[in-house]
Amino acid sequence: MQLAMFRRVAAGGAVAALTFAGVGAATMSPAYAASSKVSVVHGIPDTPVDVYVNGEKTLNNFKPGDVAGPLTLPEGEYDIALTKPGEAIDKAILKVDDAEVPGGANISLAAHLSADGKPQITPFVNDVSKVGAGKARLIVRHTAAAPAVDVRAGGEPVFEGLTNPKEAKADVDAGTVKADVVLAGTDTVAIGPADLNLKEGTATIVYAIGSADAKNLDLVAQTISGLHSAPGGVPSGTGGQAGTGVGTWWYVLAGAGVLLLVGGGARVATARTARR
Amino acid sequence: MTVRNRGALAAMAAGAAALTVAALVACGSQPAEDVGADEAAALASSTPAPPATPTAAGDASVPVSAGTLPADGATVPPVRLRIPPIKVTATVNPVGINARTDEFEVPPSVNQVGWYRYGPGLEAAAGSVVIAGHVDSADQGKGAFFRLRELDRGDTLTATGSDGEDRRYRVVAREEYTKTKIPLERYFARDGKPRLTLITCGGPFDPKTRHYRDNIVVTAVPA
Repeated sequence: MQLAMFRRVAAGGAVAALTFAGVGAATMSPAYAASSKVSVVHGIPDTPVDVYVNGEKTLNNFKPGDVAGPLTLPEGEYDIALTKPGEAIDKAILKVDDAEVPGGANISLAAHLSADGKPQITPFVNDVSKVGAGKARLIVRHTAAAPAVDVRAGGEPVFEGLTNPKEAKADVDAGTVKADVVLAGTDTVAIGPADLNLKEGTATIVYAIGSADAKNLDLVAQTISGLHSAPGGVPSGTGGQAGTGVGTWWYVLAGAGVLLLVGGGARVATARTARR
Repeated sequence: MTVRNRGALAAMAAGAAALTVAALVACGSQPAEDVGADEAAALASSTPAPPATPTAAGDASVPVSAGTLPADGATVPPVRLRIPPIKVTATVNPVGINARTDEFEVPPSVNQVGWYRYGPGLEAAAGSVVIAGHVDSADQGKGAFFRLRELDRGDTLTATGSDGEDRRYRVVAREEYTKTKIPLERYFARDGKPRLTLITCGGPFDPKTRHYRDNIVVTAVPA
């Protein structure tokens, strides 16, 4: 039934024009200006697919809940199509033409259900800026057929009123938090609780997927590492016993020595002159 | 020779003595020179990644992983450090970042040293395992790393992991940096060759701020 729906979507030409334009300028780094890292996240329950990029099969039997990539794609426009495994590309169940991939970005393409349960592909630009020492980045993306939600950590709401297909993010202390997803403004748990291990120096991206009506809401996670920073410093001594440099008192002693030498010498010299 | 003259000569003698002592102290407190800096830098340069060849569409070798929630990694923290040449045997504590200063949280007890728990553990195939310790403290005296700056190339040390396994390392570099200029990214790197980095304080001490000017960094590789 779901497949039939997909076909309708494709046949009806309900093809979202994906535009990443404007992303590139902000995130471009000169060394990789020509290409982007692109991951694909499968968030449509019960629907394994083959993924075609520009007409070529790129992923075989890609399963719901899996994350593929990152692929390194030169900047440009791409046609993306999803088919039932083994089926021809002209029977695509979901396709997007001329998706624009800018240079120098880190992008996740999420295949997921819209708020009202229709399959779609949403591009997200991943924040891969450095996190502070001791910190981890948590990014939550609402990609489920469900109303607005709050995300709680340890029972406290951290992101409120998140709707499909939006994301919320924060840099938090690294460590494990118990997180759950509740219907916005309520204590009605929709997903979880689950232990989230937020590793220092990484971005953990959690996708809420599935459908509230079909009671198959779930979480899919993607992790990006290498975002760590070094500590601000290593303060490791307050005693001064190991001080190397020359302390002030030694300069005073040297100065006194010079004065004594000069003064004494002058005295001897005057005494000798006087005796003549 | 008059009494006055004798006083003057005595003053000259005292002056000469004072100068000599001050000069000796100045010479004696020159920091030991850096050794192995190039080698330490080479270890840090990350293994050259294969050139980012754009993946052709149609390449079926795209990595696919289950999007399960990340689990705790299997890190092996060092729990004990032995450095025979400078007679150090110290307990190693896992430490992180001081929330107020954003600096490395060196254990308060000067007899113990701290392993940077966010970085690689002893099991890591790449990157820098960092252990820092006090050179000394105003109220506790000399610290575990008081003599760290005496280590030289070829000296060996042993780190014991939480798995009970001893891992031997050989010193390849000893460097001193002004704290404002130390390339911490290199010493806290999670890529490059596997290595052990020991850090403490050194250089001139400012009695007003009660801080040392420099950091002493010893780099060791698996022996």
